[in-house]
Amino acid sequence: MGEYKYIGKSVPRVDAAEKATGHIKYMSDLSFPNMLWGKIVRSKYPHAKILKIDTSKAEALPGVVAVVTWKDVPGLNGFGIVVPDQPVLCEDKVRYIGDAVAAVAAETKEIAEKAANLVEVEYEPLPLVDDPIKAISEDAPKVHEGGNVHLHTKIVRGDVEKAFEEADLIVEHTYYTGRQEHAFLETESGVAKLEEDGTLSVYAGSQYPQRDQMQLSRCLALNPRKIHVVSYPVGGAFGGKDELTIQPILGLLALKTKRPVKIVLSREESIISYWKRHPMIMKYKTGVKKDGTLVANKVEIYADTGAYASLGGPVLNLAVEHACGPYKLDNVYIDGYCVYTNNGVAGAFRGFGVPQVTFAMETQMDIIAEKLGIDPIELRKKNALRRGDVSPIGNKLTTSVGTVAVLEGVKETDLWKNKDKIEKVDKERPWIKRGFGFALTYQGTGLGIGLPDYGGAVLRFREDGGFIVGVGIVDYGQGTGTSYAQIVAEAMKCPVNKVSVILGDTDLTADSGPTSASRGVYTGGRAAIIASKRMMKILKEKAAELLSVSPEDLEAEGGYFYVKNQPDVSISYDKIAMEFLKTSGHLPQTEGYFLMPIADIKIKDAFGLPHHIFAYSGHLALVEVNTLTGQTKVLEGAEVVDGGIVVNRQGFEAQVEGGYVMGMGYGLMEDVKIEKGIFKTVNFSTYIIPTVKDAPKRIQTVPVHDPEETGPYQAKGIAETVMVATAPAITNAIHSATGIRIFKIPATSELIYNLLKE
Amino acid sequence: MKEFNYLRADTLSEALEMLEEFQGNVKVLAAGTDLVVRLKGDMVKEENILDISRIKELKGIFTENGIIHILPLTTHTEILEYPDMKTAAQILYDACKSVGSPQIRNRGTLGGNVANASPAGDTIPALFVQEAKLKLKSKSGERVISVEDFFTGPGRTVLKPDELLVDIYFPAMSDDEVGFFKKLGQRNALAISVVSVAAKLKKSTEPNKFDKAFVAFGSVAPTVIRGNRVENALMDSVVDSREKIRYIAQLAWREVSPISDVRASLKYRQDMSINLLYEGLLELYKNGWNRRS
Repeated sequence: MGEYKYIGKSVPRVDAAEKATGHIKYMSDLSFPNMLWGKIVRSKYPHAKILKIDTSKAEALPGVVAVVTWKDVPGLNGFGIVVPDQPVLCEDKVRYIGDAVAAVAAETKEIAEKAANLVEVEYEPLPLVDDPIKAISEDAPKVHEGGNVHLHTKIVRGDVEKAFEEADLIVEHTYYTGRQEHAFLETESGVAKLEEDGTLSVYAGSQYPQRDQMQLSRCLALNPRKIHVVSYPVGGAFGGKDELTIQPILGLLALKTKRPVKIVLSREESIISYWKRHPMIMKYKTGVKKDGTLVANKVEIYADTGAYASLGGPVLNLAVEHACGPYKLDNVYIDGYCVYTNNGVAGAFRGFGVPQVTFAMETQMDIIAEKLGIDPIELRKKNALRRGDVSPIGNKLTTSVGTVAVLEGVKETDLWKNKDKIEKVDKERPWIKRGFGFALTYQGTGLGIGLPDYGGAVLRFREDGGFIVGVGIVDYGQGTGTSYAQIVAEAMKCPVNKVSVILGDTDLTADSGPTSASRGVYTGGRAAIIASKRMMKILKEKAAELLSVSPEDLEAEGGYFYVKNQPDVSISYDKIAMEFLKTSGHLPQTEGYFLMPIADIKIKDAFGLPHHIFAYSGHLALVEVNTLTGQTKVLEGAEVVDGGIVVNRQGFEAQVEGGYVMGMGYGLMEDVKIEKGIFKTVNFSTYIIPTVKDAPKRIQTVPVHDPEETGPYQAKGIAETVMVATAPAITNAIHSATGIRIFKIPATSELIYNLLKE
Repeated sequence: MKEFNYLRADTLSEALEMLEEFQGNVKVLAAGTDLVVRLKGDMVKEENILDISRIKELKGIFTENGIIHILPLTTHTEILEYPDMKTAAQILYDACKSVGSPQIRNRGTLGGNVANASPAGDTIPALFVQEAKLKLKSKSGERVISVEDFFTGPGRTVLKPDELLVDIYFPAMSDDEVGFFKKLGQRNALAISVVSVAAKLKKSTEPNKFDKAFVAFGSVAPTVIRGNRVENALMDSVVDSREKIRYIAQLAWREVSPISDVRASLKYRQDMSINLLYEGLLELYKNGWNRRS
């Protein structure tokens, strides 16, 4: 993109130096004078009635300043982005082993821990609900009074049964996926502090400060204007900090003690207490013609959302929306259930329901390609959605559709070009087998129809002629902040290092919606451009006035305005800033708000569906399987991604590589095991995530695009799609290496070995 | 986390003095890579922690009359960086390489790995087949035992309350000796072994025959164990085909008594004891029973 000066270039992250040197202060690093430590008392049973809570012994412990229970919650004792069904502190019932029952604030961390152990809670255990399919039946014990089905979404188009009769091949399998943990470096941590003017400051890394403020206001019965939320910087989130975590309890303790209170969760408490990727059971029946044309897809989805709703409903609906992959299908029957159980809690996680169904659908596609003897790329191309097509759930795709661009790009990757040269069996060690695999996916950008979706940005002119852009979106590692700096630099025609970025602060940034759904660059970026255009107009007028020319005669470049055709007549931005200060005493500030475009139709009975804009990606894997042990090593990976125009090239590469390795962990090793409601893998000794020694030596990253005119400089978003299809690419490669089919992930060494043995 | 008394000994005699004084109500800290985790989880019953990490007399490697001495506070990294260790103690070298991560290898010690007595301790099967001896010392005297006789159960050893491990030594490998260490973990670094196997074979003058064989298994019994049946079969057979190796490796099934846990099932561990041994032997066989270059 030669016309852009900053967009598409490799720009070092704006936060690189402070992170690399350790100077950055995360919320878990904060400390205030007179600060107390908080500790949360959690349930001892996965499902039980609370008979009695006795805090007297804990209160009597020297050094304890406050103990809070449900009685201390001044507002609604509940939170939850969609339905506030999760108690801040449980009153009469606990529904999972991490449920919060009480909390203490004490002079030291040690005293707080000791006091937490002194809170006596009497329970009466209730029958356990741990199987999402059994949980649906009428006579199952109930996690919530209203029943165990949190959401049932069914989409029917055409006539699948008739189409199956006409199909030449029917492929039918049941798929299972694991419970993935976000495994962010910084656990849920923060400090709440009551300011002298009565404002409650809540410093806790999260993904949407303005929504935290709204939810906290409801729980604490406090005017939202009296709550200041700072949610940046945050040491990783991946969806796990979209919902509230410790914030309401921090707020309660600070209000009660009138002193700053800090909580830092241990890894063990973090894993037990908060969100995971939904494990899903998915029954697929796909009908196809001999020539590879897909004719019908019947899908049943059971998503285990655990004890509370959080974003379980929307996660199920995204799974339903994406269940058929980016393919043309006119006969579909998709029946999804989001079910309450006592298995911890599940919520938002990068990919948001799509990694599960993509594993299933892309395995179906691989089986079909093999059975019909069709090249996997050609099979997908034959069925690929293109712009103007109707999606499987019935909406017309009027925006950018990158399916074909991605499939063409795949053919250009080194892995694809060399796939027939793979030494399938190691000559020296013939028990080592190699194989190549491919999978395709797409991912809705933004929140979907029916949900207010907008971007907001505040732009302030700086004394030195630079700019400060404030966006509510949080950069928890994606590099969004750097993208905003580039976008403002491009729009304001000034160097990137003249733009500073403020994120995630209810006082200093504009509400830009949640940092989720791959929407950060798209919505915040568009808002920043709108704010920049307004700023440019103001600066240009001032420059014109100072140079005694008309604004139309001016052109901006590199932090200067020039008179067209008279390059020696110019004025720098810092001089303009000085003039503003001299004449008015302050510098101009502009704001930009952008409403996300939405699809033309709403899907009946499917809240949030459809999405309007999608990112597309193709994932490739070359694997080596040791057939004696089942160990699988991904030797090399590649991804071809249509997330629109790439804003930061090195950010793109890092995002793709990180996504690939996360997808690899999902496919091969990651699973939070819960047995009878009790967590068996509570730290990184037993919950296994990939290390650098497990990552492939090389991941080739290839951007392609189908132009999306509505995006900021035609960008869409890549954050999720880059991890979504890695698992099936790898399991398809395992099949190509060994002949076994993987229907359950993670495909651990033991699972692969057992399949090989059969 | 419970509170505890922290004691530090700067010399060996100080350490032995303190051990005698506290009579078992003391846990020795070498580097803490395992102990600190256990302290954090309130899994240590002793009320006193004796830090021996600064005792210089217990650090270092030297060779004397063909015997390699590795003093217990030597780190895994120091073993890996010691000249000739790769040939003279190839099996232990490979085991050290498989330990944790660079950070853990820089800090963790050989003596700590041994005295911690985990059935999953990576260096222990290697020390078994390298025929290591341990010197245990107390104020009142010292004794030498074979590494195999050291362990009595998970985390349990024959160390008396007043004794400290002060030397680990074994003969350097000769040119006619070959071997391997294989570890199966849930990933390639920072992994606790699901199964590990070490073997050392002393080649006979006749092809495909062995005068001596040592085989040991980790993570498949309450302690690391020797595989005597496998060893006998290796010494009594002409090991000249893939089938024969497979047959011998299957004897591992008779050696191991694993359990199921969150990392792997009993059955998988049983099969992996066989298959890791099979893979290791097969690799050597395919290389003409020569060490890999």
